[in-house]
Amino acid sequence: MDYDPMAMDDAESLGPVVKISQADSVRVKFELQNADISFANSLRRVMLGEIPTIAIDLVEIESNSSVLADEFIAHRLGLIPLNAEGVENLLYSRDCDCEEYCEHCSVKLTLHAKCTGYENMSVSARDLVPVGDRMNQTLGTPIINDKDGTGPLILKLRPDQEIKLECIAKKGIAKEHAKWAPSAAIGFEYDPHNKLRHLDLWYETDPKTEWPPSEYAKWEEPPVEGEPFDFDAVPNHFYYNVETAGNLPPDGIVAEGIKVIQQKLAGLIHELTEGEGEYDGPRSPEYHSGPDNNYGYSTSYGGNGGNQSAWGGGGGTTPFGGQTSYGGGGWS
Amino acid sequence: MAARPDSGDVDMDDAPTSHQPEVKDDTMVDDEGDEVDEENEDDDEEEEEDVQRVKLLPGSTETAASFEFANEGHTLGNALRYVIMRNPDVEFCAYAIPHPSEAKMNVRIQTFEGTTAIQALEKGLRDIQELCDVVTDKFVGAAADFAQKKAASS
Repeated sequence: MDYDPMAMDDAESLGPVVKISQADSVRVKFELQNADISFANSLRRVMLGEIPTIAIDLVEIESNSSVLADEFIAHRLGLIPLNAEGVENLLYSRDCDCEEYCEHCSVKLTLHAKCTGYENMSVSARDLVPVGDRMNQTLGTPIINDKDGTGPLILKLRPDQEIKLECIAKKGIAKEHAKWAPSAAIGFEYDPHNKLRHLDLWYETDPKTEWPPSEYAKWEEPPVEGEPFDFDAVPNHFYYNVETAGNLPPDGIVAEGIKVIQQKLAGLIHELTEGEGEYDGPRSPEYHSGPDNNYGYSTSYGGNGGNQSAWGGGGGTTPFGGQTSYGGGGWS
Repeated sequence: MAARPDSGDVDMDDAPTSHQPEVKDDTMVDDEGDEVDEENEDDDEEEEEDVQRVKLLPGSTETAASFEFANEGHTLGNALRYVIMRNPDVEFCAYAIPHPSEAKMNVRIQTFEGTTAIQALEKGLRDIQELCDVVTDKFVGAAADFAQKKAASS
């Protein structure tokens, strides 16, 4: 049989295809075709954990007479989604020249609320006020998407209780802490009919009736009864459902995710190729090893000529040498 | 035989983790004294700011090499493994994360004559970049189409 290398993986030679089935302000559902599962998974992982956003990282509490403990409130503040538009212009605090934080690497928000009425009062994300210089007027603003326009509830105050604090929001990624996650959830699915048998479905009597078909089941051919198992089959259609927490638009999360992969790769390529000639990248000792190349010879293993090592030369001074009670310096 | 404290044995910490020449190695045997050591310390601090992200592991040759990636995981590893394996000049490619609590990822590449493992690695990285470009284009295109369709239907 003629073997045409160009004919193999013909699905992939067509190149990747993206189809969007639903998109609005909170989610985008799309299908990625003709890509390998490894790449599809990279995209999923990177969108989950490595897209930079901004979240409250430091809280300075001036007064807190509420029933909640300071650290409890600080934790809740950290989880409030903040608008991450323009976060690419913000520096990571660790890369910034400033002592602790400054306007180049953080956004300051304040919260001051006191219950002066006779009824309990709710303090919500709306009451967090960004102050000071900012990159732009949206970066670091709390996301408010609910009907009442209050945003997430932070705490409640009884009459006469007061809360006053200052928050520093910093840039970060969800790999460090989930509060920096741009996505509320990412759905990822392939092979809805389980033709590849990557899943071993648990069942009581019949998996077909007990496991409802996925919404993507109608997008793919159902398996034919009695069809032999295709050992060469690989997953080729991946269904994503990217749902935002509000800090980035859903399509922005996908675009940013790919950008993060690109940056990773660019950094590595740069390191591999930087300074050809005066090569600084990875290099093995066997490379261009001429006589003047002393890699491996200058380590502490052999450099001192061997004779002065503890094992060599002056063997007579070891406790086993001449002065032992065994031999008195000779064979007897 | 009991080892004495000043024995010639090299501690685990002092043993080279990479075959690559470090600045340290050149001066390590010098018994010149403290001056040199101080200089080295300064160098180390500078190096810490610019951490090396790829390292060639000991025992590597031109066509068969193991790389160690710092701060990378399955996200890059699996995609890279796949893309490098698709290169017809590559005989073998695999990746591993030797220990889950160390942020390190190892890639092994063995190539046929005519190309080197480093070249194969670089090509792999560039191939994923290209793939990313294509997927970005397709996604942006699909998003624009979707928006257009939505506008037309409403």
